[in-house]
Amino acid sequence: MTTRLRTLSLAALLALGTTAGASADQLSIVFTHHSSASNTFWQAVQRGFNDACTRIEADCQMIFTQTEGAIDQQLSNMDAALARSPHALLTSIVDDTAFDDVIQRAVDDGVIVIGVNVDDSEGAAGNARAAFVGQGFRPAGYSLGAAMSENFPEDGPISVLVGISAPGQNWSELRGGGVMDFLEEFAAANPDRDISWERIDSGTDLAITADRVGAYLNANPDTTAYFDTGFWHAAVARVLADRGIAPGEILLGGFDLVPEAVEQMQAGYIQVQVDQQPYMQGFMPVMQVYLAHNFGLAPADIDTGQGIVRPEDADAIMDLSAQGLR
Amino acid sequence: MRRIIKIYLQKPELVALVLLFALIVLFQWQSGGIFLNANNMRGMLGLLPEVALVAIGVTLLMICGEFDLSVGSVFALMPMTMAVLMTQGWPFTLAVSAGFAVCALVGLINGMLTIRFVIPSFIVTLGMLFMARSLTVVISGGFPPRLQTAEIPTWLFVSFVGPGQLFRMSFLWFVLIAVLVWVLLAKTNFGNWVRATGGFLPAARATGIPTARVKIACFVICAMLAGFAGLLQSLRIGSVLPSMGEGLELQAVAAAVIGGTALTGGIGTILGGIIGATLIRVIDNGMVLSRIDSNWFKFAVGGLTILAVVGNAWLRKRGRDMKVET
Repeated sequence: MTTRLRTLSLAALLALGTTAGASADQLSIVFTHHSSASNTFWQAVQRGFNDACTRIEADCQMIFTQTEGAIDQQLSNMDAALARSPHALLTSIVDDTAFDDVIQRAVDDGVIVIGVNVDDSEGAAGNARAAFVGQGFRPAGYSLGAAMSENFPEDGPISVLVGISAPGQNWSELRGGGVMDFLEEFAAANPDRDISWERIDSGTDLAITADRVGAYLNANPDTTAYFDTGFWHAAVARVLADRGIAPGEILLGGFDLVPEAVEQMQAGYIQVQVDQQPYMQGFMPVMQVYLAHNFGLAPADIDTGQGIVRPEDADAIMDLSAQGLR
Repeated sequence: MRRIIKIYLQKPELVALVLLFALIVLFQWQSGGIFLNANNMRGMLGLLPEVALVAIGVTLLMICGEFDLSVGSVFALMPMTMAVLMTQGWPFTLAVSAGFAVCALVGLINGMLTIRFVIPSFIVTLGMLFMARSLTVVISGGFPPRLQTAEIPTWLFVSFVGPGQLFRMSFLWFVLIAVLVWVLLAKTNFGNWVRATGGFLPAARATGIPTARVKIACFVICAMLAGFAGLLQSLRIGSVLPSMGEGLELQAVAAAVIGGTALTGGIGTILGGIIGATLIRVIDNGMVLSRIDSNWFKFAVGGLTILAVVGNAWLRKRGRDMKVET
């Protein structure tokens, strides 16, 4: 028994020594965010992150939360990660105040901190992070609205439904807000037309979104367009197809190029999709950390996209999307 | 007459049924007749069988005196297993059988651990909730495969049937399974064993009922029903996402309780679980048609759910207190 314990202790010490040795020589980067591992979008971010880390031979870890959008878990993950004194912390900043202290502490300890995917709504003024790599959500929502308006009927009333996938969460509210900013401008520019919009809690599950938006469209068949703040309108496209509604009769638009959404673009039901390039959001901050750590170059903001994607682009994108590169 | 009213008021599932009718009338009136129109019914009857099948399994298990919190994860694991195997060249029948085998294994492990180590099933299945969800992500490599619908007889599961194409095949499957489980519970020795095991375990053991095997069988049935429900949903929406079914376990438990199933076991009916699940779907759908603001949506759904349970308890108490001549 004693011999076995000694052997185990020795093995544990050796393992710890190896880990410590690795972290001393290698650039260590931790990525914390607000999403769980079952979110396909974040798997694409992780792929970019891992690929970049492999290229620079960094010791990297991405930490998911157990439940989607759990800020408390993310905060706890950040604390745990910083206890290991990494060289850099990459993090989404989904709340304007919750992460201020921990980011300040990290920066004070010499850790390079880069915001990724979601930034403080005040931008750089909001906290001590060095740079932000991701999509400007409100401008992206605005861009989506503007791109979709090209498909609006030339006259008659416009009735729009905006699905807030996660009410109260920055990313969803800001994207929805951006769409509604555009609609306000559009209404002001067309004072002779009846332009109205409404927002609902559309959910973050394909089946739930299909059910809720399906019910709304049933009650409001004259709806011109539905905007989703995620990709869950792909299920709404199926509802329209089941009801025999032709592609384009009710316009659909949203965010992210997951295969479900691209497939519905190919079918003609989704007219506009905004790409924020998740792979790039994982890849680029690692490169910035590498440059900052090795050459002292200051990390800079990168807008990964308000790229408007239309059905004619869908075929080319499908393969990349399935591989998690778009 | 009073005697009849008293008897029916004391039947929890019938009280829930009264509340269900009251809500249907309310939403039908509030939506200007849209709630019960064919299009809305078609949408509701698409999602209902999936939620109700999970509720049936959970109700059966709760009557047996146990909980299963892993149903939401198994809901995703089953179709994901099938989809991954099909991308590797497995034929549909083998892949779907393997999916069901995985569900049975999960149920078996839940049951064995609960009974062998005398651990509350709440804890065991909470652990399984995380493990099964994680497995769903792991086997898909983070990027869910596209369902090869051309090789799947989807007509057998989700095609529209019946007058006015109102139902899907999934609804017929649900009715068939509900009847089978009802017969199992109400008309067989096994049903009596389930009630006895959940009602008073020591007495059930003393009378020679194989309580361990009864519980394990209920765990397996519950997991397989959750898996089948997941299969139906993935075929209906044409996608398998690792996040599908998140939070479904709470809905299923709520459905069982609303339908009159006792949290302590021994009491409850399959019809009650189905009515509970229907009530939840009706509330969700009715809230959309009532054009509730997205910020208040969850509040309204939660408030109406509590109202349904309180109304249920109140009517039951009125039934108990009602004096009739003997």
